[in-house]
Amino acid sequence: MISAEGLTKSYGSTRAVDGLTFEVRPGVVTGFLGPNGSGKSTTMRMVVGLDHPDAGTVTIGGRGFHDLRWPLREVGALLEAKAIHPGRTAYDHLLAIAHTNSIPRGRVDEVLGMVGLEGVSRRRAGKFSLGMSQRLGIATALLGDPGVLLFDEPVNGLDPEGILWVRTLLQSLAAEGRTVFVSSHLMSEMALTATDLVVIGRGRLIADTTVDDFIASNTEATVLVRSPSPAELTEALVSAGACVSVADDGGLLVTGADAARVGDVALAAGVAVHELSPVQVSLEQVFMELTSDMVDYHGHTPAEVGT
Amino acid sequence: MTTVAEPVALPAIDRGRAGLSGQVRSEWTKLRSVRSTWVCLAIVVVAGIGLSALVTNVEAGRWGTLGLADRATFDPVRFSQTGSFLSQFVVGVLGALVVTSEYATGSIRTTLSATSRRTTVLTAKLIVVGLVVLVVAEVTAFASFFTSQAILLAHGAKALPPGSSIVTQVTSPTIPYVSLSDGGALRAVFLSGIYLLLLALLACAIGFLVRHTAGAIATFVGILLVLPLILDVLPSSISGAFEKYLPSNLGLAMTLVTTRKTDFAGVLLPPWPAVGLLVAYAAVAVAVATVLLVRRDA
Repeated sequence: MISAEGLTKSYGSTRAVDGLTFEVRPGVVTGFLGPNGSGKSTTMRMVVGLDHPDAGTVTIGGRGFHDLRWPLREVGALLEAKAIHPGRTAYDHLLAIAHTNSIPRGRVDEVLGMVGLEGVSRRRAGKFSLGMSQRLGIATALLGDPGVLLFDEPVNGLDPEGILWVRTLLQSLAAEGRTVFVSSHLMSEMALTATDLVVIGRGRLIADTTVDDFIASNTEATVLVRSPSPAELTEALVSAGACVSVADDGGLLVTGADAARVGDVALAAGVAVHELSPVQVSLEQVFMELTSDMVDYHGHTPAEVGT
Repeated sequence: MTTVAEPVALPAIDRGRAGLSGQVRSEWTKLRSVRSTWVCLAIVVVAGIGLSALVTNVEAGRWGTLGLADRATFDPVRFSQTGSFLSQFVVGVLGALVVTSEYATGSIRTTLSATSRRTTVLTAKLIVVGLVVLVVAEVTAFASFFTSQAILLAHGAKALPPGSSIVTQVTSPTIPYVSLSDGGALRAVFLSGIYLLLLALLACAIGFLVRHTAGAIATFVGILLVLPLILDVLPSSISGAFEKYLPSNLGLAMTLVTTRKTDFAGVLLPPWPAVGLLVAYAAVAVAVATVLLVRRDA
């Protein structure tokens, strides 16, 4: 269990995290979602005591990080994949960390096996690919067999097979009753991996909910309908209480009525219908809309810049 | 995912805490597992013995051409420790790297999130780098001393009359050969190693303060090389007053045996006060580093 209350942190005049309150429960994967620069990493650093909050508290199982007697045995974190001395072997890297919390050598071999690095454990970490470094970072987090795990963008730089592996691993760790808190800026990845969601933008909490509720409450059912006489159909739909907007290609986007209702209304009005289909609003779109005014660095396409 | 048949049992969590002994083992594992450590230590040994032997050999060859004044400052102990001029920078690099390589790679965040007391990390690093440098520097200092005296013997050096101070060699017609029991020799050789130890600790503290490899090494080299140059361009009334407190001159004061009133009065501190002041410098740096390490975000 991770609990943050009123967590606030500024760097100079930039407020990275602003009054963040949320709870991460054990047993499920909790996604930590926000655009790049929204304060996810800062929040995670505060959980493991690396950055000091300006205000507020964050606790692990009810205790602050600095009250943990065996930190690695209670909370494991993957914060940066490449945070390894390039000249040190994977085995020595893990062994050095294991010593700090009286973790036996056998556990080093064990976690190397869990992440599939046992064959390259005596190679210098500088020769590792990003994917291998991510695996070593995950092994580091698992070393103390902790009940609380933090992963900051663990699938960055991984190939599809690696992404699937991480997803499965996170879910199995949660199924063992651990608290698993995973940050990502990719909504689609979180939709596949997480059960709970903490969404932030510019350091502020946008949503603390479950993935299912997040989708349900933020996506309105939309129906795309095409007709040779759109004007009549629009009139009929509006008088039936639906909202209609015109899509770029001339189709009608209807909200407030499901596909069956739209079909019934068209039949009653005697208007021919050429296409009638429910539209899936992607989670990515919902997320983008929710956080669009929360993004610090907007990308501009040349066309946008020109206008 | 490979599943391991019999999971490794971790020791009980309800007793004790992550402490200094585990951190020391961790820091030792880190220190021994990178090549730069062994390169630095090899340079300390090779430069310490090799350079000193070379200089001793050259100086012994010049004995016949030296005037009385030069013979008076002919210091067989100091020649045997010339290599430490190079070694002082190498142990500085080693001491700084122990800290800054972790900041450069970001692994300092893994290190600090493995302990709830940051001071433990700093203490363990000082202990490990200190012990390693102490052992290597002392072994090198004594090996170098005996090598150099053997070279002097080969040049026909004669032992000083029993009980005579090394300074009396000015009256001696032959190259002086010094044994550890001669006045000040044991102290000078021993403190030569201590000088390197204190510099390594100072560099380690600077590493925690600067948190950047190039910055930390530049600061360290600046203290040893640039500070004296700055003092040199100041009026001699000022530079004269401060010269003896420079770390590099403290090192000289610690390892010199021919300190005669006429040569060094007021220029250098006596050896043991010099040790005390250098310890104080290192202690202040460590104290500031400790405060900042605890206060700053990692």
